[in-house]
Amino acid sequence: MFWRTWRFVLALLLLIGCGDKTEVKVPDAPPAAEQVSGKPVTGDWLVIHSLSDPEQLNPLTSSDASSAEVNQYIFESLLSREPRTLEFKPYIAEARPEISNDKLSYTFKIRRDVRFQDGRPVTGEDVLFSLKVIKCPLVNAPFLRVYFNSVVDAQLLDPYTIRFVTKERYFLNESVLGQEIKILPRHYYDPDNLLKNVSVRDLLKDPQLNENVKKFADNFNKNYNRNPMGSGPYKFHRWKTGQEIELTRDPNYWGTGKPGIDQAYVDRLKFRVVNNMDAALVRLKSGSLDYMEVLQPVQHVRGTNSERFNREFKKYEYYAPTYSYIGWNNNHPIFRDKRVRQAMTYLTDRKQIVKSVLFGLGEVVDSHIYFFRPEYDKTLQSYPFDPQKALALLNEAGWKDTDGDGVLDKVIDGKKVPLRFEIKVNSGNAVRKSVALVLLDELKKHGIAASVRELDWTIFLNDVKNHQFDAVVLGWQMSTTEPDAYQVWHSSQAANKGSNAISYKNARVDEILETYRREFDAQKRIQMYKEFQEIIHDEQPYTFLYVAKRVSAVHRRFQGVEVFPDGLRPIDWWVPVTRQKYLNTVTAQ
Amino acid sequence: MGAYLLQRTLLMVPTFIGITLIGFLIMRLAPGDPAELRAAGGLGAAAGGGISVEKRGSVDEAMAQWRAQYGLDKPLHVQYAVWMKNLLTLSFGESFKDNQSVWGKIVERLPVTVKLNFWSILVVYLVAIPLGIYSATHPNSFADQATTLAAFVLFAVPLVWAATMAIVFICGGDFYYLFPPGGLESLDFSDNWSIWKKITDHAWHLFLPVVLLSYDGFAGLSRYMRASMLEVLRQDYVQVARAKGLQEKIVIYKHVLRNSLIPQVTLFASILPGLIGGSIIIETVFSIPGLGQLGFESVLARDYPTVMALFTVSAVLTLIGILISDILLSVVDPRIVFGRRLQ
Repeated sequence: MFWRTWRFVLALLLLIGCGDKTEVKVPDAPPAAEQVSGKPVTGDWLVIHSLSDPEQLNPLTSSDASSAEVNQYIFESLLSREPRTLEFKPYIAEARPEISNDKLSYTFKIRRDVRFQDGRPVTGEDVLFSLKVIKCPLVNAPFLRVYFNSVVDAQLLDPYTIRFVTKERYFLNESVLGQEIKILPRHYYDPDNLLKNVSVRDLLKDPQLNENVKKFADNFNKNYNRNPMGSGPYKFHRWKTGQEIELTRDPNYWGTGKPGIDQAYVDRLKFRVVNNMDAALVRLKSGSLDYMEVLQPVQHVRGTNSERFNREFKKYEYYAPTYSYIGWNNNHPIFRDKRVRQAMTYLTDRKQIVKSVLFGLGEVVDSHIYFFRPEYDKTLQSYPFDPQKALALLNEAGWKDTDGDGVLDKVIDGKKVPLRFEIKVNSGNAVRKSVALVLLDELKKHGIAASVRELDWTIFLNDVKNHQFDAVVLGWQMSTTEPDAYQVWHSSQAANKGSNAISYKNARVDEILETYRREFDAQKRIQMYKEFQEIIHDEQPYTFLYVAKRVSAVHRRFQGVEVFPDGLRPIDWWVPVTRQKYLNTVTAQ
Repeated sequence: MGAYLLQRTLLMVPTFIGITLIGFLIMRLAPGDPAELRAAGGLGAAAGGGISVEKRGSVDEAMAQWRAQYGLDKPLHVQYAVWMKNLLTLSFGESFKDNQSVWGKIVERLPVTVKLNFWSILVVYLVAIPLGIYSATHPNSFADQATTLAAFVLFAVPLVWAATMAIVFICGGDFYYLFPPGGLESLDFSDNWSIWKKITDHAWHLFLPVVLLSYDGFAGLSRYMRASMLEVLRQDYVQVARAKGLQEKIVIYKHVLRNSLIPQVTLFASILPGLIGGSIIIETVFSIPGLGQLGFESVLARDYPTVMALFTVSAVLTLIGILISDILLSVVDPRIVFGRRLQ
């Protein structure tokens, strides 16, 4: 959920600024905008493929990607990001916040011309209310609340100025406050103003005591899940369960014509639910969908190359900021030794995997930082596919076939251990399974007995969190904005089912991760993360695999379709009057 | 008869409790944790940006809060008791997904599934019974062997494959556009349409799912029909009927058909739960928002209240279906008299 808002854009500009000695091949940056002719006009519909119904449309209590997809058109926040440069830009706020010298309080001034969809103005009261909702322990948003642990207070200095107080010096707090608070109209979500006399500090104490808070939370949890209202360019129109969600453009949108504010052109957004990918492609071809954000690789390679298809649709290929990896359980007797882990990377023919498993739609990577980020370390030497080197490393680490059974072995802790392990993957993910099988074939040739086990997602997840695995094939979302990898790599996150499931521990990395979070100087942070990546690169706790490309298909009548480092932005699209398809059916508001 | 019915109905109570208890246990003992699923947002997808998560502890705390909200922090037997207590007030609780009443969700989707299944069951019976009769009265003829072969082929074709092929070839992809590739209504469906237009639009959308849903059903049913007819045809009283010179039509339809319906009546018990059961495959492939799709999504999301509700409803309908078919048996077969056996 939150990652969706985090994977904002990255910068071509920053890349050029610091690129000299390129040793690892960095893929081409997203292509520049296509030439668009004419001035954007409003009208027509955009029918978007949605793989499943959202769970609900309350922006604070929902936690799935489909909800975020819809809500981004309805709700706005204090700050946003410039789509191409990924720099912060003020949105509901007049400017970026004033940050105190101790870096603990943030003061935002709110624009005076912002209106909710019912015409009432957005004021500091609404922003404060939205924060109270998040902080209220009775509201069903515990997982969003985690991100706001550091925020301990907020007051209105005047009706349009709000000051947030945090308890922790953390450079991403600006982003949390600026982008994660979706601003809700207080008069709509709390018509009786039950939270009026409750401060953020009160909510931290004991909200159970307050009848009003209880009443508010009950009502909020139950009655606002299918009727969202915010200040964004699209209004919620209707939701046919399991079929479609329909949004209509707000003709009185406050931001119309204002610089720096996203303009909407298409009159109606329809999110059509099609659970099955084959059926979705057929629907696209038959004209009942206009846009599929994700085509399966096989659909891209076969099935969407006919002349007819290309006359009607245009395909866009771009990197999706997610990397896949094989995680080695660093506590496992075999994988405790970094030489074994390095050997495994040498044995993984990653180029071949990209070629055969992904149909070439991907790029081999050697770091967990997105390659378009300035933090990315371009000096890393990629591990080639080199079985000889791998065997030499294994030998050096003491792995030899002493008993002639065809499997390497070694005495560890006084016990003879064969080089045998299991790679776990989640069932239903053909790509991950193929990755494991490619590796398996290679390992067999060199006396390493590995096997693959497929598990149902929830069982798999359970095993991973409980460190019940030798090796796993998995993926992580990468941040397209300022990364913070604390959660994945800090040793404290190895305990208690944290995200450091492979139990990676390195004192220097811990130190970097901690100081990085407190550092407000971007250049210094970049230097820290370069050192961090070098350590990871040497220790190979993961074998990094690839960043895959995504292929989207958009109907050609839409203009202004551009690939941003973060993907496509349907909000910018428009259709020339002569090509509008649903012209007659639009009813005026 | 009355006493028998009473006894049967009373017996349904412990059976029902047993069924729900087992269902509850299977669901809860299966691995997977709804809180964990939510917290992870999918471990494989979650962000590299660990925003202000000082310790994993805070996430654990969030999960504990979430569990407490839905009473999942209590021991299993207490949870079952609470569930049962709610059931007595006819409440299935609220969905984990959106806090809406589960009953409301079922009611919302029920018409779709019933519509789909009603037509397909009707088609199944209308096709299977005559086909079975024809096969049985013309044993080993070419037509019999052809229908036998066809029935077995259809029976063996996986539904998901057939559905996908249908969508790819006749739903407007690169080939023919005879039917819509799923959904219930056209994109431009509007409430202002005339009744007739609405009905034809619905029928056009339902046609393919109904056909697909029917084909493997009638393959099986026509075999049963054929077998039970043949069985009866070999009986002595059929010989007698023929010997005394009755017309073949009367022999077949008055004596043979009626007697061979007894096994069909037993099969009838499955119709009631079948009506609401929904087909996960068809509803998912064709994106039809019925109970099958709801059940499937709920299992994946470990939405316990919804899963339990669907399970309970179909358990109740199965029990009722069995009861009805037992009663019907005594109607079609006068030899079966329940009441007397009890005395």
